[in-house]
This record gives sequence, C-alpha cells and structure tokens, in this order.
Amino acid sequence: MKKSAVLIPMLAISLVFSACSSKSSQGTMADTNKASAPSQLIVAAEQEPVGLDPNKVPAASSKRIYSLVYDTLTVMDNDFNVKPSLADSWTYSEDGKTLTMKLHPGVKFHNGREMTSDDVKYTFTRILDPATGALSKSSFSSIESMDTPDKNTIVFKFKTIDTTFLANATSAFSSIVPKEVADLNKEAVGTGPFMLDKIENGQYVLLKKNPNYFKTDQPKVDSIKFQLMKDESERLAAVRSGAVDLSMVSTESAKLLENSKNIKVTSFLSAEYGYLGMNVAKKPFDDVRVRQAISYALDRNEIANTVYKGQGVPSGPISPALKAFALSVSEFPSYTKNLDKAKQLLKEAGYENGFETVIDTEAMYQDLVDASQVIQQQLQQIGIKATINKMEEAAYVEKWKSKNMTTMVGRNSSGTNPDRSLRFFFSTTGTANVWNYSNKEYDALVQKALETTDEAKRKDLYNQAQKMVVNDAPNVFTASPKIFYAVSDKVQGFNPTAAGEQYALIQASVSGKK
Amino acid sequence: MGRYILQRFISLIPIVFGISVLVFLILHLVPGNPVLVILGTEATDESVKALTHQLGLDQPLIIQYSRWIGGVLHGDFGVSIRTSADILPELLKRFNVTFQLTVFSILISWIIAIPIGMLSAVKAHSPIDVIARSISMLGISIPNFAIGTLLLLMLSLIFNWFPPLQFANLWDDPATWFKKLILPAITVGIVLAGGLMRMTRSSFMETLDKDFIRTARAKGNSKGQALLHHAFRNSSIPILTLAGMQFGYLLGGSVIIEQLFSIPGLGQYILDGIYHRDYPVVQGGVLFVAIIFVVVNLIVDIIYSKIDPRIKY
Repeated sequence: MKKSAVLIPMLAISLVFSACSSKSSQGTMADTNKASAPSQLIVAAEQEPVGLDPNKVPAASSKRIYSLVYDTLTVMDNDFNVKPSLADSWTYSEDGKTLTMKLHPGVKFHNGREMTSDDVKYTFTRILDPATGALSKSSFSSIESMDTPDKNTIVFKFKTIDTTFLANATSAFSSIVPKEVADLNKEAVGTGPFMLDKIENGQYVLLKKNPNYFKTDQPKVDSIKFQLMKDESERLAAVRSGAVDLSMVSTESAKLLENSKNIKVTSFLSAEYGYLGMNVAKKPFDDVRVRQAISYALDRNEIANTVYKGQGVPSGPISPALKAFALSVSEFPSYTKNLDKAKQLLKEAGYENGFETVIDTEAMYQDLVDASQVIQQQLQQIGIKATINKMEEAAYVEKWKSKNMTTMVGRNSSGTNPDRSLRFFFSTTGTANVWNYSNKEYDALVQKALETTDEAKRKDLYNQAQKMVVNDAPNVFTASPKIFYAVSDKVQGFNPTAAGEQYALIQASVSGKK
Repeated sequence: MGRYILQRFISLIPIVFGISVLVFLILHLVPGNPVLVILGTEATDESVKALTHQLGLDQPLIIQYSRWIGGVLHGDFGVSIRTSADILPELLKRFNVTFQLTVFSILISWIIAIPIGMLSAVKAHSPIDVIARSISMLGISIPNFAIGTLLLLMLSLIFNWFPPLQFANLWDDPATWFKKLILPAITVGIVLAGGLMRMTRSSFMETLDKDFIRTARAKGNSKGQALLHHAFRNSSIPILTLAGMQFGYLLGGSVIIEQLFSIPGLGQYILDGIYHRDYPVVQGGVLFVAIIFVVVNLIVDIIYSKIDPRIKY
C-alpha cells in the first residue's frame, strides 16, 4: 500500500513525459511527410541581441544575426581569401590609391528598393562620421573621398595605399545599409539572405529567408530561429533531445557529446588568443626585461592543455588560424620555457626576489579564470606573487579601457587580417592599445606593411612586426582555443570556420530524418 | 480595516522613495559604464563621448535622478539604454510570466509540504516522521539549480524529452504552459516544500497539544475531524507567514531557475540589466519588485484577519 503511494505518482510523471516525447516525434514525422514543408534551423543562442545596427553594435549576439540580414561589399572564404559579394569586381589604379568597384546590379533591400552606389557611399560616410560612433571607423580612416559615377559603380580614393581595405570590407561592421532608414536598431533592412521576422525579447529571434536574394542558391533553409538559452546544461539537453539543431558548446561538453547518437561535434581553431597584458607605463612592467622574464616563465603548452583541455594551440599576436600570416611560435625564443633565463632577466631588472602584483580577469569566462590560475602558478616559480581579481564584465571593460590597469588576463580576436592583429592592438595610436605600449620602429613597420602591395614583402614586414611585439612583450600571448559546435545530424552543410559563422549558416540545410 | 490598508499604502511612499535613491546610487557608484558595455572594448574615445552625451549620462547625478524619478511618478519608467525598448510594458510582460511560475511553484510546494507536514505532526517521532523530516532536510539542503539541472539532463537523456522552447500563457495554451513550467515549478516547489514542511509540522504539533483539541476529541470528534476542523485553522498562521514571504520573494523572479529553463521572467530581465549596467532597467525593475513585495505582505496580513478573527487591525 505504502509502496504504491510513491510509485503511482512517479509512474504518472514518467507517463506524461513519454507521452509528450512520442507526441513531439510524431510531429516531426508529419513534417517530413510533406515534402514542401518549410524548413527551419533552430540555433541555441547564449545571449540576447542588443540592437541590430551593424555599423554600431559590436555584441557577438547581435552580430551573428545582423550578419545574416545584411551584406558586405566583399566576403571571406574559409581560407581568409577575399571574394566578391555586393561588389562583383574591382580594379586598383596604378598608384594603388584609387579603387573602382562594380556593384552587383539589381540587388534589392528587404523593403524592395534597389541598392545603389549611393547606399555604399552613405554607409561609409556614416561609418566615418564621428557622431555615429561606428566600430570600424579606424579601419577605414584611409578613405579620402568617394565617387558614384553611376548607380552600379563606386570609386574609393585613399589618402595612402590601404592593402587591408578589401579585407576590412568583409566585416559585418561595414555592412551596407539603406540611406532612408533613420534608426537601424528599430528596423533591420538589409540586402542579406535573411529578413528579420520577429524578435521576442527574452525568448527568440526569428529570421525568414529572403526570397529575392541575389545569390540565388542561398540560403538553404526557409527560416532560422535563434532560441535564447543562457545555461550550458540547458543547451546540452536541448541538442541531445533534438529541441534545437545546433549550439556552440564548451570544450568539456564537446567531449561529453562525442559519442552521442544523432549529434556530431564540429570544431575549428578560433581567430582568438588568450593573453596576459601588462601596463607598460607602470612599475615594474615598464622594464622590458621584466615582461620578457614573464614570457620565458610561462609554459604555453601547459596553458593550452589545462585551460583548453588539450584542444588549444600556442599562439603569437596572430592566431595560427590565420595561416597565411601567423608566424610559427617556434620563431619566438621566449616561447621555450626557460626559468633560468627568466630569473636572470628579473635579476638584471633589479627584481631578484620577485615582486607582488595583481591579475584582473573576467569572472564570466571560465577559460580566463582558469588561465589566470595557471599563469599565477607559473609566475610563482620566478618569485612573482600574483593575486587574481575576478571582475564582472562591466567593471572589467571599464578597467581595460582605463589604460590604468596593472595586468589583465583576457582573450582578443586577432581578426581576419594582420593589420588588425598588429596595428589595431599594438601601434601607439591603435584603438585597442590600452597598454601604453609605444615603439616608433614598430609603428613604422606596421604602417609600411599596410602600404605595401607586394604580398611577399608585406608578409616579411608582418613577420618582423610579430617578432618585435613578442620581444617587447606588452602582452604575453598564450594560446588559441578551439570553438565547438554540437550539430544535429538532421543538419547538412554546416561547416563553420574562423572566417565567420554566417557563411556556414547560409550553407546549412535541415532534413526531416531523425 | 480600510484605514489600516490606507495607512499601509501611505507607508509605501517613504519605502519606495528610499529604495529608489539607494538603487540609483548603488548602480551609479559601482564600477562599470553602460556606454563601454554597449560599445565594447574596441570603441574609440569619440564614440564613447558621443553615446555618453546622447544618453544623458554626462549630466550631474542629481539631475539624472530627478529626471528618472519624475518620469516614474508619471508612470514612465523610461527606455532601456541597451535596446531602447520601453521598460514598463516589458516589466509587466515579464511579471506575468514570473507570476504564473510562482503560483505554480507555490501550489506544488503546498501539495507536497502540507499533507506530509501534518502527517509528520500526527505521527510525531514515528518512522514516517523521521523519513519525512529527512526528506525535508534534503529539500532545504540541495540547491535548486542542482535539482533543475538533474531533471533537465535526465529527462533529455532517458526520455529524449525537452520542454517546449516558448513560454505560453496558461489561458492561451494550457498544454504548452504545463510542459514549459512543470520542471521549473517542481524544482522551485521541492526547495520551498522543505522549509514549509518543517513549519507545518512544528505548528501542528504545538496546536495538537492545546486543550481545545483535547476538548474537541472529548466531544466525540474523530481524530481526522479534530485535525481538519480545529487544528488546521489554528496552525495556519505561521505557515501562511512563511508561504507569503516565499511568494513575495519568488515574485521578484528566481534568477537561476529562469536562466536554466529559459523562462522570460522578471529575474532574468533585471539580472541582464545589472550585467550591462542598464541603469533605468535595474532601477525600474527593483522599484517594481519592491512595490510588489510590500503589496504581497499587505495581502497576507489581510488574509490573517480573515482566517483568525482574533486578529484585528
């Protein structure tokens, strides 16, 4: 009697759940039977988008959506080569300072109006206007003027030769926007493969296929739904049960999912790298020997193995994902752990007995906290006692921007071209150089590389710059992580790379088979 | 009674005012800057300046405060810094979700706790009592996210079952509503039930020792009659107090549960606001929750006097 009192409710509950699950699988069966049933790709989103103005909003949660709604002049292929998109073709003038682009004719914005060279000019004028506060303003500071001889031709005139223009134009931050829409956070009107259908705050963002997309073979699905799931264990459960089709997962979860039925795990080496950044204007880090000592003291393989569970790869200032430009880490002497050398350097700098310092890091990202702890232990070996200060995102960002930190452990994206990896982060006037690092020789080197059109020479200059920044060590670069996706086997053709998730989503299709 | 309610509402004014000042100050004084959160680490100095000015964050604090509170007094909670969406409609929408989850969770906790607590009291110190008390101890000790995560992962692995992705109102789509909320409600319910069960047990044990129960039994009432008619009402005040507090607390949103089960409730909304230093959202949200809390307490006090006529205001 008493046993059944416990058993009956349990049985009832399990019946309810099995009933629910069988019902839902019937539902999908019915869907597949209709051949023309609209296909929907459901993607688990970790964060909500915070506005969809591609020129203004940097948040990754927003970018992954607006990069499907808008197009750029050029795109990247999986090997980071620049390919045509809205711009069909282009030619440079003799002196390399004038670029004439032919736009794809007849491309329409989602509101039905034809996109013309005026919109391109409007977009870049908008990006360059300080009042806009555009993210890619500094990437395009070399633009002097623009001309629109006809509706399908745009001519850029540059102050200096800018070899990164075509690569920078692939960034979703430089998406072409229509001139008639005043507030692009309230309306999303692009030319892209998907149109914004609905945003339900706190729940999902629904995109539907643009039937008039100018690349007629794309996209492959009728709609994409970004379903908000902030908790990793919820995302795991959702992918496993087939409630969502794909989700980014952590390295640990990827391992868990390796042997699951119906799920494949795909990964790629990220264009990001972890680093320990030091304030070059503050003692004792104003002494290059101290920074070099730290570089010699760190064991990057250990960081790659413990923090990224053996899935990380030691990285310099350019992530190894950017194969064409990243210098092999064997070229950097300080990447071979050498405690004697480190202690020697510290002694020369007058810190024979080490010193105490603080590492600020962002509490929200476990890899950064883990990396801080490994670095803390490794620094102890040369007498440097570091205290870890875990900060919340808002406070961390404020400190990062303040240029008044001591040391920080973080993760940066080295981007898809070397100019960003090197000039943007480490030139004296670089937007993201918050470390007070200034080396005239380095500045001249990266500027010269920017203006060098000869590929081999350019690569050589970037090699020198990489060696120089590793040697000066305003940042000690550690390792690049891998990014993992758990993908339902209903999904075909989803092959993400560091070039951009959007390129993989456009190619992905969903079949009904379970 | 009417006068009492009026008094309580008047006492709301200094509370709400105090909270508004506190929240405003705390938010503006902690490190972190919404403009930098919005623009990210790559923002240029001029874009930071432009947005700071556009949002009015370069004004003195006193002006920012009076602007905000002035709006609130006119029923205008302002717009979110991040998304520029109106805050009050969003608060009400989120509150609706949190309210439904709260009621469901409280019901589950009552269904579990009150009968078992009563049984425990009647059979005090028997094996049933010991088992019930151990289970309630377990309910109190296990953090709710552990129960929730376990339920979610187990059901997805064993039954291949996952709750519906979207929330639906009870009155729009009861089946979806039930499937979406059953796991979080059980998770919250179990944790609440632990405390409530213990409160029920001790309150009943105290009442059962009273003379009037012996009298009721002596008059020829059965044990059950004495328990339900005589002991129940007299034991319910402490239980109601605890339940009322739990209710008010939950209406503020249960952040972890909402996050784990992707429920678009109040807690998520305010927490997101805090992360992103979305000042008006957090200020409005906390003020809203404070008012709700005070009102719930008032309602509980009124219910007291309905249950126990000896309590008069």
